[in-house]
Amino acid sequence: MDYGADLGFTFVHTPKVVFGENALAEVGALLADLGASRALLVTDRFLAEKTDLLTRLRKAAAGRIAGEFLDVVPDPTAESIDRAAELGKSVGADAVVSLGGGSAIDTGKGLAVVLTEGGKVLDHEGYHALPRPLIPHLAIPTTAGTGSEMTMVTVITDPARGQKTFIGSYFLHPNVAVLDPTCTRNLPPLLTAATGMDAMAHAVEALISTLRQPFSDACALAAIRSVMTFLPRSVSDGTDMVARGQMLIAAAQAGSAFSNAMVSLNHAMVHSLGARFHKHHGTLNAVLLPHTMRFFAPDVGERFVWVAQAMGVSASAADPVAAGLAAADRMAKLNSEIGLPSRLSELGIPREALGEVAELSLSDGSIIYSPRPIMDAAEVLSVLERAY
Amino acid sequence: MAFDFPSEEWTQAYFNAINSDPNYKEAGKTWTYGALAFVVSKEPSIGLAEEKAFILDLHQGVCRKAWISNLEEAQKQPFVITGTYAQWKAVMKKELDPIKGMMQGKLKLKGNLPIIVKHVKAAQVLVENCSKVPTRFLDEK
Repeated sequence: MDYGADLGFTFVHTPKVVFGENALAEVGALLADLGASRALLVTDRFLAEKTDLLTRLRKAAAGRIAGEFLDVVPDPTAESIDRAAELGKSVGADAVVSLGGGSAIDTGKGLAVVLTEGGKVLDHEGYHALPRPLIPHLAIPTTAGTGSEMTMVTVITDPARGQKTFIGSYFLHPNVAVLDPTCTRNLPPLLTAATGMDAMAHAVEALISTLRQPFSDACALAAIRSVMTFLPRSVSDGTDMVARGQMLIAAAQAGSAFSNAMVSLNHAMVHSLGARFHKHHGTLNAVLLPHTMRFFAPDVGERFVWVAQAMGVSASAADPVAAGLAAADRMAKLNSEIGLPSRLSELGIPREALGEVAELSLSDGSIIYSPRPIMDAAEVLSVLERAY
Repeated sequence: MAFDFPSEEWTQAYFNAINSDPNYKEAGKTWTYGALAFVVSKEPSIGLAEEKAFILDLHQGVCRKAWISNLEEAQKQPFVITGTYAQWKAVMKKELDPIKGMMQGKLKLKGNLPIIVKHVKAAQVLVENCSKVPTRFLDEK
């Protein structure tokens, strides 16, 4: 235990978590508990048209869905959220139901803000500036990775300014997270692997962040243990509902961990590579994570001993650096076992762009929570080069 | 001589501290996003009957203007950071990192968070300057 007398933290864990195979069937009762009778559903066209989830949800909601916004876009734009809000106002929505990955849930969060506070979504950009609780939001993740159903932030793209911005507030947590493994059954193996490694990166980074704290540590370590056991099973057999379910729980635990403790260098590099080359967020996290762990191995004391032990790697507290390196090696092996690439070069990223990516990473908000201050782009570049 | 915080005199002393610091000239040279308003929540028990704000018009490493104001004018600025008297005092005494304070909800930000965190070095230097201003705190009178 590496906490001292200066320990001080806030831990917030708001959503009521409802887990179980076919938990989706409880949505009507859950909406009734929230006092909602005219919810607006937000999801994307793929889930609406290519899966049975929307049909199941409509039936479960028992008439409590007043409107459906099916045009959720990846990296939700302010314009798309405002369009959803217009629909919500027109049907008199009194709650939000989001069905999908991080983009659908983030759209749902922005929508809840506008339906409560009025105006346009960008009128409310800021952190902890919302003045009151929002209308109820019930989130149903269909991937096991982003953990957005547990977090207090929504990321909004503003093409007009060429920027991403945030609304962050404890009021932004969804009220209920419905974790139903059958909702992730349609996810193909590669996406299952990549989203699962996003959860792994959330957990590892929350454990070593400067905002780490005992409650987020517990969530993160539990998530790491589960990902090690159940991600390979989910990838090799997508119909394994036990594994799918445990991965949903792991992603939610990792989401709760990083919502409180934040992420750091790994996500800073991933955000920068993603912005520049539009590669999958989870895949980038997976490729970079072993290298980030090796980079920080001398800086985090016993933290990587815990990670190694949670990963089932033999590690001695007497040599934490060796434990960190062994855990990083195991992480790389996990990537290989679940069919993910191990090098940035395999993703078609040109080597000559790494310097620019390193500079960009230096100005990403996540980097400030790194276990030691990173002020020099050369340090970031050294990690990117090793991952290339 | 110590200045009451918040007051016009204190704000002018802070303005001078920022502009006489070469570290801020360097750290703040990429700031082109307009003024920051710092709002101190009302606290009648120490004589703050209404919210008070000090506003810094920062641009490319220079503080062009600084003034004491009210909540209404503060809310018109592109960035508004609000905290209680005790929280601002903790920032000035370097007991509370302002960026972490925002993330933890101790300070409330209205505006674009990524722009603020991208200028974390400038924020650190501003806090450093702030701590150099001889200050008399209302709750210690």
